[in-house]
Amino acid sequence: MNGWSEKILDIDLTTGSIKTYPLDMEMARLYVGGRGLGTRLLWDLVGPQVDTLSPENVLIFTNGPLTGTGYQTSNRFSVSTKSPLTGTVLDANSGGFWGMQFKKAGYDVLIVRGKAEKPVYIEIKPEQVSLHDAMELWGMRVNALTQKLGQEKNHRNVLCIGPAGENLSRIAAIMNDGQRALARGGPGAVMGSKNLKAIVIEGKEKTGIADQEKYKFLVYETRKMLAANPLTSQALPEFGTVVMMNLVNNIGALSTRNFLHNQFEGAEDISGETLTEKYLVKNDACWACPIRCTRISKTDKVKGEGPEFQTTWAFGAQCGIADLAAIIEANCLANDLGFDTISAGNTIGCAMELSEKRFIDSDLRFGRGDLLARTLEDMAYRRDLGADMAEGSLRLATKYGAPELSMTVKGLEMPAYDPRGMQGQGLLLATSNRGACHMRGNMLGLEVLGLPKMIDRFQVQGKSSYVILNQNSSAAIDSLVLCKFTSMAVADEYFARVLSAVTGIKYATGDLIRVGERIWNLERLYNLREGFTNKEDTLPLRLLNEPAPDGATRGWVVHLEPMLKEYYRARGWNELGIPTAQKLVELELDGMQTGEKENQR
Amino acid sequence: MIDERIFETFREIGRDLYAADMISSHGGNLSIRLGDHVVIKRRGSMLGNLKPQDLVETRIDKNDSGVALASTELLVHRTIYQQTPALAIVHCHPRTAIAFSLSRDEIVPIDNEASYLLKKVPVVTEEFPSGTPQMAEKVAQALQNYKIIMLRGHGSFAIGQTLDEAFFWSSTLEESCQIALAVKLINEPFIEYRKNSEGYGKW
Repeated sequence: MNGWSEKILDIDLTTGSIKTYPLDMEMARLYVGGRGLGTRLLWDLVGPQVDTLSPENVLIFTNGPLTGTGYQTSNRFSVSTKSPLTGTVLDANSGGFWGMQFKKAGYDVLIVRGKAEKPVYIEIKPEQVSLHDAMELWGMRVNALTQKLGQEKNHRNVLCIGPAGENLSRIAAIMNDGQRALARGGPGAVMGSKNLKAIVIEGKEKTGIADQEKYKFLVYETRKMLAANPLTSQALPEFGTVVMMNLVNNIGALSTRNFLHNQFEGAEDISGETLTEKYLVKNDACWACPIRCTRISKTDKVKGEGPEFQTTWAFGAQCGIADLAAIIEANCLANDLGFDTISAGNTIGCAMELSEKRFIDSDLRFGRGDLLARTLEDMAYRRDLGADMAEGSLRLATKYGAPELSMTVKGLEMPAYDPRGMQGQGLLLATSNRGACHMRGNMLGLEVLGLPKMIDRFQVQGKSSYVILNQNSSAAIDSLVLCKFTSMAVADEYFARVLSAVTGIKYATGDLIRVGERIWNLERLYNLREGFTNKEDTLPLRLLNEPAPDGATRGWVVHLEPMLKEYYRARGWNELGIPTAQKLVELELDGMQTGEKENQR
Repeated sequence: MIDERIFETFREIGRDLYAADMISSHGGNLSIRLGDHVVIKRRGSMLGNLKPQDLVETRIDKNDSGVALASTELLVHRTIYQQTPALAIVHCHPRTAIAFSLSRDEIVPIDNEASYLLKKVPVVTEEFPSGTPQMAEKVAQALQNYKIIMLRGHGSFAIGQTLDEAFFWSSTLEESCQIALAVKLINEPFIEYRKNSEGYGKW
C-alpha cells in the first residue's frame, strides 16, 4: 500500500513479547495517521479506569502516510497516551529525523504496554526488534545518553527520557535526538513509569507513492509557496520561531509575569533579532524541511539547539527575565533533564508569584534569572520545593492554597499568548482537548500575522467558525504528519492533494478537514468518558475578570461565554458541550460511548 | 445584531467589487459563516452601496424568518458551507472570465500570478438559475476540489476563510483572463516560461 506501511509493532514490557500485525486500513482511511490514529487506538486501549502512571497506560507512537516521503516537512511523528498531567487524551508530536526513520523501519504504529521489571531500552532495526538492559543508562542525562546510543549521521536516532521522566515529573518530555521533544502533557513520565529509558531506531524502507507525477508537481508548487511567503522564507530562517516575540509583544498579547501583564518591557532583549545578533551560531533544519527555523545558539557556558519562541517566553517574559543568555542556558538544561519547557517555565513563573505573595517560602522572585538552573535541577530530582513544582503549576498552586494563580487550562500550562488581546485564541485555548495548547489550531495566523488574511483580533461574534476550522485543520495536519509552519504558507488544499497523490485515495480538501473534525470529536468523547465536562472549557479567572493593563489590549478581558455558546452550536454539540447523536453519525463515530449520563450529573 | 466590524467588511468588499466592474448594480453576492449561521446580502440590495440593514442572518441548516429577506442565492451559499470548509463566499460576475467560460470547460491561467495561486479553474454548466437545488449542488460539488469555480455564462464562486481571501481569488481570476484576452489580441507565439507547466491543467 502506498503511504502506509500497514503494520503495527506491539511491545509488552511486562512480558517481553514483541508482535507485529496488520494495520486496520479502514481505520487508516478514517483517521489517516499520527494524532488521529493514535487517538483512535487509545480509545480502545486506555479507558477511564486506568491510572496514567500504571502499567495499563500505553504509549502509542505513530507516523503518517506522508512521513518519510520527502514532501516538505514530512518528518514528524506523534505519541499518544493518557496524560499524567491533565488526565485528558494526549498526543504530542515532534520533528527532526526519528519519525522518518520510524517510517523507514516499516511501521505505522508502535504500541508500548506494561512495565519492565528493570530499566530497558528498545532497539528497532530493519532486521530485528529487541529489548536491552538499561540499568547502566538509568540516571543518565539526555545528551550523554543520546550520544551513547545514537546518531551515526542520522542513520540511527534516539528517543529517551532524562531524570525528569525517570522521577515521574508530570511535566516530563520524551526527548528526540537530544534537543527536540514530544513535550506537552507529561509523556516522559509515562515512559519513566514503564522503566523504558530509550527507543533507538534505524530504517531503510522507502515510502510508496501512488502518483509520482502529481506528487512531484505538488512538491514543486509547495516549494514556490514556501519561498514566496516572507514568514517561511525570511522571518523563520533568519530569526527562528522567536521572531514572534516582538510581534506579539507589540500588540499587547505577550503574557508577562504569570499573566499579571500583557506586555514585557524586556521583550526586545529576548527577541529573535537579539538572539540572531548575539547568540546564533547557525541555523539548522529537520529532515526534508526547507524552512530551517532551528537555531544553534551559544553562550559562554553552553551550546545547543533552540531556544524556540515558547521556551524563550516561558523562561523569559513569564518569569520576568530579560537575560537571554540565562534563558538559552535554561533551555539547554531543561532539554538535558528532559522537561517540557513551556510547562517548566510557566510553573516557575507561577512559583515566583506564589513566593512574592507569600503563599510559599522561597527566594524565587520575578526577574531572578540566576535561579533558573537550580530550580530546574530541583524539579528534575524532586528536591525541596522542586518536588511540588515537578507536578506542574496546578498541583503546586492548589497545594499552597492559591489554585487561581495557576495559568492552566484542564491542568496544562498556557503558552505565550495573552488571549485578552486575541479573543479567538482565548476560545481556542479554552476548548483545546489536551488543555491550553497553541498547537491544536492557532489563531496567530488570522489574528496577528494576517495568514491567510487578517481578521479583527477583538471581534467576538463569529470567532467560533475560525477556531473550529483551525482546530479541525490542525488535527488533520497532525495526522499526515506535517509541520504547522508549512500550513502558514501552504493551504489545506495542497495537503489534501498530496495525501491523494501519495495514497491513491481521493481526499478533497473538505474530506481532509472532516478527518480533523472526526479526530476532534473523538478526543472530546474521550475526555467526556474520563469525566470532563463543559465546566473545564474555560480559562484562568485572571483572563476572564482582570482587564489587561498594557498597550493596545489595555482594558480587555476574554469574552468567553458568548464565543463558547456559539462554538458548541457550530460544532453540533448540545449546550453541555456533548456531541449530538446526529453529529456522531455524520462523522462515522456513532456507537462510541458519549459519557452523557455522567456529564449531566 | 450583526457586529459593526462584520458590516464594515461587507461594505468594503461590496464597494470594491462594484468599483472593479465585477458586478452590476444589484448583482453578485457575499456571505460569511458565523458558527451555525450565515450572514448574507439582503435580496434586492446593492453590493456597491450596502447599508447595515442590507445584511441578513439566518441558519445554515434550516429556515427561520431571516430567509424571507435573504438573497435568492441563499441555497447555494448554504450548500457550499455544508459541503466545504468555506467560511466566506464571494460570488461576482467578472466579465472577461464569463466570456472565456462560454467557450471552455476549464480556465487554465497562463500568467505567473494566477498559475501560482489558482492553477486551474473549472467551468460548470447549469441552466437552472440561482436559488435552485440543481445549481447549488453543482457549484458546491466543484468547490470541494477548487477554491474558485466558474458557472458557465453566469459568474464566479470563490471560497476562503475571509471575504478578503475569496475576493482575492475572484480578482486574480479576472485579471488573469484579461491578460489571456490581451495575449489573444496580440496574437504572437507564446513563450512557455513555466517549468512543469503541464501540471496546471491536471490540477
